[in-house]
Amino acid sequence: MTLPRVLFVTGKGGTGKSTVAAALALALSRRRPTTLGDLDRRMSAAALLGTIPQDSTAVKVTDQLDVIALTPRAELEAFIERIVPIRAISRRMLRSRTFGYVTAALPGLEAFLLLEKLRILAGTAALEDRYLVIDAPASGSAIELLSVSSGVKGIAPAGTLNRLADSIDGFLSDPTRFGVVITMTPEDLAVREALETAAIIRDRLGIATVAAIMNCVPDSLFDTSELAAMSPLGAHAQLAIRRNAAHEQASLATPRFKNAGLPTINLPMMFTPSIGRTELEKLGRVMKAELLGR
Amino acid sequence: MKPKQFDLRTQKLVICLGPGGVGKTTISAALAVHGAAIGCAVDVMTVDPAPRLLDALGLAPDSSEPVEVELDDLLPSRRGDANRARLRALRLDPKRTFDSIVGRYAKSNAARDAILENRIYRNLSGALAGVADYMAMEKLLELAANPDTDLIVLDTPPATEAIDFLDAPRRLLELLNSRAINLLSAPGGLFKSQLKMMDVAARAVLAAFDRVTGLKLLSDVQSFVRSFDGMYEGFSARAARAQDKLRASDTAIVIVTTAESSRIAQAREFIDALESAGLHVSAMVVNRVLADLPDAAELVSADISPSLRRKLRKNLTDYAALKTREQASLSALRDSLPAGAALIVAHDLGREPRTIADLAEIGRNLRAG
Repeated sequence: MTLPRVLFVTGKGGTGKSTVAAALALALSRRRPTTLGDLDRRMSAAALLGTIPQDSTAVKVTDQLDVIALTPRAELEAFIERIVPIRAISRRMLRSRTFGYVTAALPGLEAFLLLEKLRILAGTAALEDRYLVIDAPASGSAIELLSVSSGVKGIAPAGTLNRLADSIDGFLSDPTRFGVVITMTPEDLAVREALETAAIIRDRLGIATVAAIMNCVPDSLFDTSELAAMSPLGAHAQLAIRRNAAHEQASLATPRFKNAGLPTINLPMMFTPSIGRTELEKLGRVMKAELLGR
Repeated sequence: MKPKQFDLRTQKLVICLGPGGVGKTTISAALAVHGAAIGCAVDVMTVDPAPRLLDALGLAPDSSEPVEVELDDLLPSRRGDANRARLRALRLDPKRTFDSIVGRYAKSNAARDAILENRIYRNLSGALAGVADYMAMEKLLELAANPDTDLIVLDTPPATEAIDFLDAPRRLLELLNSRAINLLSAPGGLFKSQLKMMDVAARAVLAAFDRVTGLKLLSDVQSFVRSFDGMYEGFSARAARAQDKLRASDTAIVIVTTAESSRIAQAREFIDALESAGLHVSAMVVNRVLADLPDAAELVSADISPSLRRKLRKNLTDYAALKTREQASLSALRDSLPAGAALIVAHDLGREPRTIADLAEIGRNLRAG
């Protein structure tokens, strides 16, 4: 599979987006230089890799991997500084409360500028033959974010902004430049939300979906006869059933995604007291093998 | 520190806040079902755009008015006060509620239509300064005015900032009443001498923005806020009442989280933000905590094959590792709870809650953590 330049990782809250984004970036960086762009205010994906970037200045994790923080606010500031060339005024404006209300009255502007930033970063990444992995917001907000450029086209039927929206649309709908990775866990709600998200992103927004990542899949330790034999064991049996049920749930989801034209990658449940670099490496290897071949 | 007890019977309003994906909706529904099971007349409202609560409660996705939930034998025996017990559920449609409020406070039908037909309002009203959150507050006041209701449980949209939701009425008001708005609604160039440099600059940015973009946004924003003229009083009075409600002694703010360390960190930020806004957190509910693990010794004497015994031991060891991870986060949380807040643990059912009975079980089994 040829991967797009930008991999935008989203999914239902609590399904391990940040873990998946960090592990994916780590694994891809063994192949090519990679940047992890963290859109989460808490920088949780970056924190998993042991760094907290302050802004869009790259912080090195390894020779091949760096992380950047992407905030709508920073993009808005950069934009204002472009259109108000007198620095003293632009600075004061950005600090003023009044201006906060003005930006509130321009809904979607910050999100729009963030997409524009991604487009520019993707261009740079193409020149440097680099991957860009984005730890994106949860699916609902991610869909809002990705829909912003069509919203802008609705209210700005002509002019520069419309042309900018066009180029953002072109970027988002180009499968060589942009693709979405959707995370889920072996639970009915998470699977359903992943299928819905995939359908909206692909069919309504016309954006490529790369893969659905099923996180936290335990191996099926017990076969049917064993499950039957342990039924007098109460809580032990329940724990065994729980493990097998999660495994089963993941197996049942795979064909549903296949029907929807989306490959799934199962990540093993990490039965460890904490998630550190070792665990991320393991998860990353599984994704890399599936996405790029060995 | 001895954590405070949390008693649903003494509450009139329970607001569940928390990050996405922690089961906030499940906990809200479980609290509501449990409330009805102990004899209260309960309303539960969700603002979540995904109608998951209604799913769990078996309701249609467009229930913008309260719909009675069938509880059958979960209700207490119908004697004396207990016959008040009931559960109603609704899903808030922010857009529709906003439309109706605009209709209520607009000076005239023409003013109302001007807002409803405004390009900004139509395209992007959902994104405007917490409109959905504000609308939830509005609906809440309406529900709270019903004397036949003992308890209202509110499931809020997933938030990155706890305060966003509770602060929405104030922010919307500030927006409508701000100098920026006065400035925007003033006809071009008239009062330049009275405006501070900042305002001139803000306006200049918008004008430049329009020029660059071809958006004519300035005039749209202007006419949008101008049409709100005169509605401020009505909004203001209701927002003040919403703020009072949040601080009432029978209102409980409950933060829902899971035991994952990143979620706990987020939940702690929520608490800090709320406390610094003078809002008191009544309880923290940690959802999906693994139930206590069985004793490995039981396996020694069990009548099973050696290979199955080995596998069951491995399974136990595996889940014990997860339990260790969980306990570490829980004890960190316990140490940082604000005084007077209860720590409550909701045990994982081992399956996804799908029925009212599942929700009742979760509600019944909430324990001090």
